[in-house]
Amino acid sequence: MTILEVVNVSRDVTWLPWAVQYFFLVGLSVAGFLLSLPGLAFGARSQRGFGRNALIGALACGLVAPVALLADLHQPGRFWRFYTNPNLGSWMAWGAFFIPCYVGGLLAYAWAALRGDLAAAGQGDDLVSRLRRLIAAGGAPAPRLTKILAGWTVVFGLLILLYTGMETMVVRARPLWNTPILPLQFAATAFTGAAGLTLLIARLRGDTTHAGDAVAARAMTAALLATIALGLAWFALGIFGLSDIHARALASVAGHRAWQVTAVWAAAATALPLLLLWLRPPGWAWLVGLLGLHAAWMFRWTVFIGGQTVPKTGAGLYVYQLPLGHDGLLGIGGSLGLWLFVFVLITTLLPDPVASRVRPALAPAE
Amino acid sequence: MPDSRRDFLRGFAAVTVGAAAVAPAGAAPTPQAAVSPDKTPRWAMVVDVAKCIGCQSCTVSCIYENAVPEDSFRTIVSTYEVQEGDRAAMVMLPRLCNHCADAPCIPVCPVGATFQRADGIVVVDADRCVGCAYCVQACPYDARFVNHGTQKADKCTFCAHRVEAGLLPACVESCVGGARIFGDLDDPKSTVSKLVAKGDAKVLKPELGTRPHVFYLGLDDRLTGKVEGEPTLWHPTGRETHA
Ligand code: SF4
Ligand code: SF4
Repeated sequence: MTILEVVNVSRDVTWLPWAVQYFFLVGLSVAGFLLSLPGLAFGARSQRGFGRNALIGALACGLVAPVALLADLHQPGRFWRFYTNPNLGSWMAWGAFFIPCYVGGLLAYAWAALRGDLAAAGQGDDLVSRLRRLIAAGGAPAPRLTKILAGWTVVFGLLILLYTGMETMVVRARPLWNTPILPLQFAATAFTGAAGLTLLIARLRGDTTHAGDAVAARAMTAALLATIALGLAWFALGIFGLSDIHARALASVAGHRAWQVTAVWAAAATALPLLLLWLRPPGWAWLVGLLGLHAAWMFRWTVFIGGQTVPKTGAGLYVYQLPLGHDGLLGIGGSLGLWLFVFVLITTLLPDPVASRVRPALAPAE
Repeated sequence: MPDSRRDFLRGFAAVTVGAAAVAPAGAAPTPQAAVSPDKTPRWAMVVDVAKCIGCQSCTVSCIYENAVPEDSFRTIVSTYEVQEGDRAAMVMLPRLCNHCADAPCIPVCPVGATFQRADGIVVVDADRCVGCAYCVQACPYDARFVNHGTQKADKCTFCAHRVEAGLLPACVESCVGGARIFGDLDDPKSTVSKLVAKGDAKVLKPELGTRPHVFYLGLDDRLTGKVEGEPTLWHPTGRETHA
């Protein structure tokens, strides 16, 4: 029997590129924050520079992510309803509480971890120095406070990873989303992206060290290997029919040429940075950094935008063309522009990396 | 009660044209009047696919009745050309919100804007909806969309405003073939409950356990889920793209 679909409905993508930006940025933020912990909260001196760069990335991403999420709402002016009328049976409703707790915790942790650096750099009489002194509020090292705030932020950071994964995973209507491996894939690719971002930030700030690069490379290698393992597990469970859920997920996309191309692309996006991390040719860090970000972003784009092009009742795939306006290209560009602005703001406030390396006395002591 | 347009017209013969705009109380029992006052109905629809001629009258009347914006549909008649051996046939499958008893669009709504009324109709509180589109993702039937005009979740309401006024949903009233039958499933005397009681009515994607309340008569099993067929002819580019 052959069926030709003559008339059917075509549904628009309703989780817009803004949603991709949100899941991308918030994932990078949480992973970057977690990567900063050994150096900034647990006294691993060799990782302090790396931790600082990871934290800068986490801050910039963490501050921009909620803006992208708000923009994804079709009624952004009504966001307050998340707090006045929460339906606590919905993962999305919980997310509305986790986000401020996480971002607030992240800011407080960053303040506690970096106030020594800020105070040390705020000795001059210029405006920035005075601002640094003001924010440092004394600037005495506060390792205990840093650890307490790190603990709070770890809890809410993990809850962010949990809710973003679960929110997508529970959607049974989309077999591609409805696998228990998806939240783990989000987490693994978030670490890949965060390690890549840290490599780039170190270079943008002129704060590259062998030790820092080594930590980033280790983190990214581990994350890429985890991504490959998860991808293979996902594929094996589906292709060998070991799990119905995974078989359905695979079947929902496997027959389409666009998805076959996507699979090859995803494999290359994971294998190429791994190869570069192994060979370390000159300039590897820039390239690996960008490829790490690409892997994290592309995974989310494929899951969210690609996932929404799979019809729930109809044949074939819905067509998606990236709009040029605020719900498309302009949105993606806008959120990156905002990220850049926040990044410049943070790095202007934070001491010059060279200066903070020669003034170690005010680094939090253990 | 007038379960389909044909039944309705039978009772309607004695009523003047002007009265058509209001509940035809004198002409025929209304959906509400058919229900005892102390008992809430459970509205449901039966679609007899053999009677559907694919004219899309329901699609158009729904658009006009509910001000559905361009490029969006609360209901549409999916049309398939099915070929088996040397025989070919057109198969129509009117689609709309199923007003599921276990609706997956409800629990995901972060602000409780989507809910089920006591009469089984699943509705969106437009004053509360934040337009997050989570319900759109969660509906397994692609029955929801975000309305470009209102920027809120939108879907079929079984024409709740008409039903409350004692009228049939617009799609039922305009159905040329009399394929759509609407009524109270809890009333054993209603046409819908009699048809469903026969036991051969099917629902879409029964394996999901959503307990849809739109039932289909004469529907081939191969069309109850995601239809594995050649994609629609009017594909704008003829290409599959997503990335
Ligand atoms: S068909 Fe979709 S929108 Fe309608 S009640 Fe069921 S899940 Fe909700
Ligand atoms: S779009 Fe509106 S009705 Fe749908 S889940 Fe979001 S708030 Fe609820």
